[in-house]
Order: sequence, then C-alpha cells, then structure tokens
Amino acid sequence: MRWALIALALLAAHPAQAEPRPFVQGSWEQLRHLHQGHPTVVHFWGITCAPCMVEMPRWAELAKTDPWLNLVLVDADPVGQDPNADAPMLKKMGLAETESWRFADAFSEKLRFEIDPKWHGELPLTLLIGRDGTVRKIVGSADFDDVRHWLEGQKDPG
Amino acid sequence: MRLPAILLLALLALRSATAEMAMHHATGACAGEALACATSATPLFAPDGSLYLAWATADHVMVARSGDDGKSFGTPAMVNTEAARIDPGPDSRPGIAIGGDGAILVSYTVFTGDAYVGRVYIDRSTDGGHSFAPPQPLTDDTASQRFTKLLADRSGRILAAWIDKREIAAAKAAGHDYPGAAVAFAWWDAAKGTFTPARIAQSDSCECCRVAAALDRDGHPVMAFRNIFDLTIRDHAVMAFGKDGTPGPLHRISVDDWKTDVCPHQGPDIAVGPDGAYHVVWFTEGSRRQGLFYARSSDGGASFSAPVPLGNPDLSPSRARVVATKQAIWLAWKEFDGTVSIIRAMRSADGGQHWDAARTLAETKNASDQPILIADHDHAYLSWLTHDEGYRLIDLEARS
Repeated sequence: MRWALIALALLAAHPAQAEPRPFVQGSWEQLRHLHQGHPTVVHFWGITCAPCMVEMPRWAELAKTDPWLNLVLVDADPVGQDPNADAPMLKKMGLAETESWRFADAFSEKLRFEIDPKWHGELPLTLLIGRDGTVRKIVGSADFDDVRHWLEGQKDPG
Repeated sequence: MRLPAILLLALLALRSATAEMAMHHATGACAGEALACATSATPLFAPDGSLYLAWATADHVMVARSGDDGKSFGTPAMVNTEAARIDPGPDSRPGIAIGGDGAILVSYTVFTGDAYVGRVYIDRSTDGGHSFAPPQPLTDDTASQRFTKLLADRSGRILAAWIDKREIAAAKAAGHDYPGAAVAFAWWDAAKGTFTPARIAQSDSCECCRVAAALDRDGHPVMAFRNIFDLTIRDHAVMAFGKDGTPGPLHRISVDDWKTDVCPHQGPDIAVGPDGAYHVVWFTEGSRRQGLFYARSSDGGASFSAPVPLGNPDLSPSRARVVATKQAIWLAWKEFDGTVSIIRAMRSADGGQHWDAARTLAETKNASDQPILIADHDHAYLSWLTHDEGYRLIDLEARS
C-alpha cells in the first residue's frame, strides 16, 4: 500500500501523457526493461520526415482497432530540438495517449548505437520486439498487414 | 506484479525529468549565438584565402571570418537580426557563397507553422560579412523548401539549388500521387538584387536529403542528389548545368535498387577533378549494396565506375564527403564504435583510380557535426565542429 501511494504520488507529479519523455543515453535499456516479456512495437518517427507523417495516422488506427498492441513512439528527428512540438502533433494524430519519447541528446549517434549500431538515422524505422526479445527491423513505412500478422503470432505464445 | 511496473514507470518519468533538467543546464552554459552552441557549421574559403564559417543556433544564423585558417575568428555577425525558428538539421545547414561582386549570400531555412513547413531565406552582405541586409525569401512560392546549396560558378554567378515541394501541392490539388519532392534551382541576379524565378530541375527526388554541387572543368555547377527512379527507387544521380544556366540530362550514378520511402537524412557529395572527372560519394541501403560508396565518371556522368565501398562496415561508416585539389582527390567519412567518433580519410593522387590506405584525421567522444571537406587552391582541409573540442580546420596535405 505504501509503495502504491508513493508510485501514485510520483505519477501525479509527472503525468505520463504530457510531453514525450526525453530519450537520453541509457533510455533504450530502460525502455526495453519496462516492456520486457511483452511483445512491443517501437516506432521511430520524425516531425520533419514526410513519410513518417503519412504513416503516423495508420499507427493510430492500428492502436485503436487492436487494443492488444503495445506501441511505443520515439521521435528521433534530426531536427527534434523543440521539446514542445511533439505533444500537439501526437494529439492531432490521435496518439496522445501512446507512450512517447523524443531524442533529447545532441549525441544522437550514441542514442542510435544503443538501439541498433547499424542505424544511420533513417526514418521511419519500426522495431517489432517479440515476447522472447527477438527484434524484427522495418526500415521505411511498415506493411501493416505484415505488422498485424506479427501481432497475431505474438498473441499466441505457443 | 502490478505494483513494481507502476513504480518503475513513475521512477522512469522522474529520472527522465531529471535528465532533461541536466540537459537544459548544460545547453544553458552556452545559450546564445556562440559557435559553441551550434551543432553544425558550413565553411567557405573566400577568393582572398580567408575562411568564412556560417552556423545556426536556435534563433539566429551567424557568420564569422578567420584570417588564420580557422585558428581564430573575428566578431561573428548576426545574419538575421530578428529571431526566427531556424532549421538546425545537419543536412539543411546554412549555405554560403561569395559572388563575383564580392557580396556574400547566406541561405537558411525557417520553419513556419506546426507542420514544420520550410521557407528558405537569403541574406546578403556587401561589407565582407560584417553586416547583412534584411532577409528575403529565396522564392515567392510558399510550399516547403529545405536543403539549400549555394555555389558560385566560375563567372561569379551564384546558383541556389534546393528541395522544393511546390509540385506536391499542385499534384495533390489535381488528385495525383507525388513521391518525394523536386530539385529546384535559381540564379542570383545581381542587377535586380534577387534570385531569378525558381525552376524545377528534377521532379520526384528524395525529399529529405541535401543537394550537393561542385564546379565542373568549365566552371559550371554539377549537382548530385538522391533521386527517385520508377516512383519507388531512391538511388543517386548527377545533373550538370550548361553554359545557358539550365541543367542537362539526369545520369544515374549507380543501380543500388534502394526501394523505399524512407528519409535517410544523408545526402551525397560530389567533386570534380582537374581532368574534369566527377567524383561522388553516397550512402545506400539498396538490395544490391549497403553502406557508403565512391564512384567516378570520366564522361560527364554518362557512365560511372563500379562503386567502391568505404570504411569499416562494423563501425557504421557515414556522412561521406569528397573534395578535389590540383594534386589529389580526398574522401572523408565518420565512423563510430559506440564511444568514439572518428573521421577517416583516403587520398588518391591519380584521379581516383588508386587510393592510399585510409587514416584517422580526428576523433571526439561527444556530439559532432558531419565532416566537411573544402579546398583552398592546392590544399584540402577537414572542417569539423565537435561539442567537446570546438571548431577544427585540419590541413590534410600537411599531414601526408
């Protein structure tokens, strides 16, 4: 009970759905740890990436139609330096309630390296992280039939 | 099971907030327009051998001049005196060029509205970069523009080439799809004090990578950019301007077959050797090859040599650049091992047919700009801005 009160107090002090959380060195490990054991779709996007802005509403639609989807958004835009820009955009896209992060360290190579040493910063990028921790990488816009198929596969742990 | 998850989430939020405060504190230490606060800087050698550097901070573009090869700079001039939301993207850094009349033009993108629509502005200085006239838009059109390259041709006329979205708006209005954006260009009209009306050099090019340009043997610009072939393939191409100031045919550099709609945020680079050969470097994740590559063309882009991979594939080589002097062709790129970023370079003394072994020019353990190669008559230099070490201009010939 005591832990629950502390947790609630902390949550109240830092509402989860306000601005995306700053993604800094070590954040990837935290994010992976937080979702360990749960199939998770981590979608990297950017506010100045035109294909990303076309794709985002489709993620919103998938999140709406499949509540089982555990979606995490990370704004990795090379221009993403305005911490106030994301929240209105995410709200407009219908993704205000989705767990969100944004790159908040100018040493973006380091952030990308922690996620995938081979990632040069291409956007959009989607990582499908399975229940067992295996990662499937989608560079460019996702094929949503493929994502749905993967999700169905993850629903059945057998 | 439920409690620890909630607690972890709460602690995570708290920890993130702390990290953010720490970051604000760190950037606060260099708040303002100092070069130390910039994440990218564009160098240019003036005809008199002095070095100009243009950089963008949050609200302003700044220009400073160095008379000692970048060791020290004079008082920086504020290009846009009224604060603007400057595009700080590393591929959309400020452009700078000096025309035949000695006037300096600086280009930069300002974001407008919530949708981050880019508008390119041009500021001109007629007093060696001490002061700049009020900004004027590069073009009247208000569809998005970004990634501007400024380059003076041999006659001193300045070309602006950029990525422009006006055709998308038109296609959308007509109910058509339009992959990518267009490469647009205009020439500075010194008599009118403005750029000529924008023209489209190539429709359907990649919308998120810089345009590169260099002067060919006749002193005319030749551009390299990521084009979109067959509506889906994002491979590279060159396009050379003729005497009349209009671009000739598009030539594909390499069939990498990168079928994607991704934003690579990593444009190519081009240099032209004293023999007129084109030298290009680029990044691809195509089905035929992946990584950084170099190729050359001895026939004005009609055909290119087989792509040569650059760098150590285990160290994610990226951001390649190329420059030509009278004596040599130089290539440089960045590698990263998870802790240290290094700039590697290779030199060819026979027009790109054979290359010396790659060597490390510089390194850093924190955030850094892309490496940029520039040449001043006989010497090639690496221009590199890093968070920890500041600005460095390294004479490559002195080290060979």
